[in-house]
Amino acid sequence: DSHIQYERVGADVTMKCGSMDWDAAVTWTANGTDIDESRLNGSYLILKKVDLTQSGQYSCYEGSSWHLKYQTNLRVGTPPKEPVLMCRSNNYPKGFYCSWHLPTPTYIPNSFNISVIHGTKEMVCEKDAVPKNRCHIRYLQLFSTVKYKVTLTVTNALGKNFTTLTFDEFAIVKPDPPESVVAKPVPNNPRRLEVSWQNPSSWPDPESFPLKFFLRYRPLILDQWQHVELSDGTSHTITDAYAGKEYIIQVAAKDNDIGTWSDWSVAVHATPWTEEPKHLTTEAQITETTSASTSSFMAPPTTKICDKGAMVGSGAVAVCWTAGLVMAAYSVLFI
Amino acid sequence: GDSWGIFTFLCAALCNLPALPALNCSEELGAGQSIQQTYDLTRYLEHQLRTLAGTYLNYLGPPFNEPDFNPPRLARAERVPSATVDLDLWRGLTDNARLAANYRAYSRLLCYLRVLDGQVGTAELRHRLAHFCASLQGLVLSIGGVMSSLGYPLPVGPAGPPAPPGAPAAPNDFLKKMDDFWLLKELQTWLWRSAKDFNRLKKKVPPAVVTLRLEARGF
Repeated sequence: DSHIQYERVGADVTMKCGSMDWDAAVTWTANGTDIDESRLNGSYLILKKVDLTQSGQYSCYEGSSWHLKYQTNLRVGTPPKEPVLMCRSNNYPKGFYCSWHLPTPTYIPNSFNISVIHGTKEMVCEKDAVPKNRCHIRYLQLFSTVKYKVTLTVTNALGKNFTTLTFDEFAIVKPDPPESVVAKPVPNNPRRLEVSWQNPSSWPDPESFPLKFFLRYRPLILDQWQHVELSDGTSHTITDAYAGKEYIIQVAAKDNDIGTWSDWSVAVHATPWTEEPKHLTTEAQITETTSASTSSFMAPPTTKICDKGAMVGSGAVAVCWTAGLVMAAYSVLFI
Repeated sequence: GDSWGIFTFLCAALCNLPALPALNCSEELGAGQSIQQTYDLTRYLEHQLRTLAGTYLNYLGPPFNEPDFNPPRLARAERVPSATVDLDLWRGLTDNARLAANYRAYSRLLCYLRVLDGQVGTAELRHRLAHFCASLQGLVLSIGGVMSSLGYPLPVGPAGPPAPPGAPAAPNDFLKKMDDFWLLKELQTWLWRSAKDFNRLKKKVPPAVVTLRLEARGF
């Protein structure tokens, strides 16, 4: 007969060959491979200080007949360490969810039990199908003075452990980050960027429970962020961007009155509008129409020379202008 | 704190009277504006309470000043009006009911706080409590002002001593401290709730009310 045997890492394990006598002649295998006789004490298999690699199927066969007398699935693991528990309300005032995990793996199956107590009442935390290790609770009452006490117990074949969280309704409110963050340059405004976003879709009632927002932005080339806090509205125009520099922008949300800030939204990149040098465009047009037949030599569009990587300022304009002239000259030669 | 509340209330009340010519109110005090100011006042009070509660709980000593302190609610503590409410019920409150609940709660809480003020030991605590009571009075007046400007009658409350007749004073020192602890907790919760109540009111008070005010004054 076959069964599962759980043992701790570092333990000494003695396996008996079912009902066979100690002095019976047997052969043991581990995952189909014969085990050397030196590991045996009579018909008992001795494994000292087991480690994870020794997990597997152990079988015991009677010496002469090769009848299978005993089989066991050895699983080496550890008892659970104190689990990590987190509870959060990203959908206030509907309710909150708790999620948990073990700080280190046990290598054997674990079961989790969560209990939520509010004052004298025990509440049911409904387990989520996905992700696992998560459950949610609906608030029955709002504006409660009594704290919630959540206890998570983790159990496996080798032991158990638990952790507790106690909190006020207001303390765990943390929205999801804002969604659909979009940043666009503003035409004819080299120092502006228009940023807009939406309330996180998990926040159920922004009318009665408005969110406020925190915007941060910096040019890619600098490490220092600039911050703006916005008490309403889901858009903002940055007016002090460095001309021609690519920016990285993020937004966070918070309930207007309670709880903590959300994580930062997905970062968006944008570069403020830059002016096309006017005289160059005329040259470029001439270049392109005259070099249409000379497909082997393709003059690159003159604007590329004056790209974002280039310097800012009148010096660049002079360089671009000169480069444009050179290009135009070459193109004319190739006709 | 209190002078601001009184100012708001007076302006709201006076600006309601069409017989008077345009008054020297520096801002247009329609109901919408009063609600915003009441909301701001609750936030200010919430901030003030954090300091006050910290000082007071330290004065009470352990276990009251421990952050994990989570005692069961004793029946006697229910005398203090609770902000806790069923979610759907809270959503469905009429503007009048919402404002009245706030008005009644803070009036009673103010009474209890005043009793506390008479009993505490240190001068610093007395000073803080007195300041807080003055601000809280301003809030009550401000809410009253909003109710009047919307045409709602002010709730008639118990003007007498805070303890309803027949209810005994705390039998011992520890239970007295428990009462104080719950009073501060309810006050804190009410201030959090009021921010949400006034957010809802802000959205629901129609701009037409403000227009009416203008017409009444500019006749």
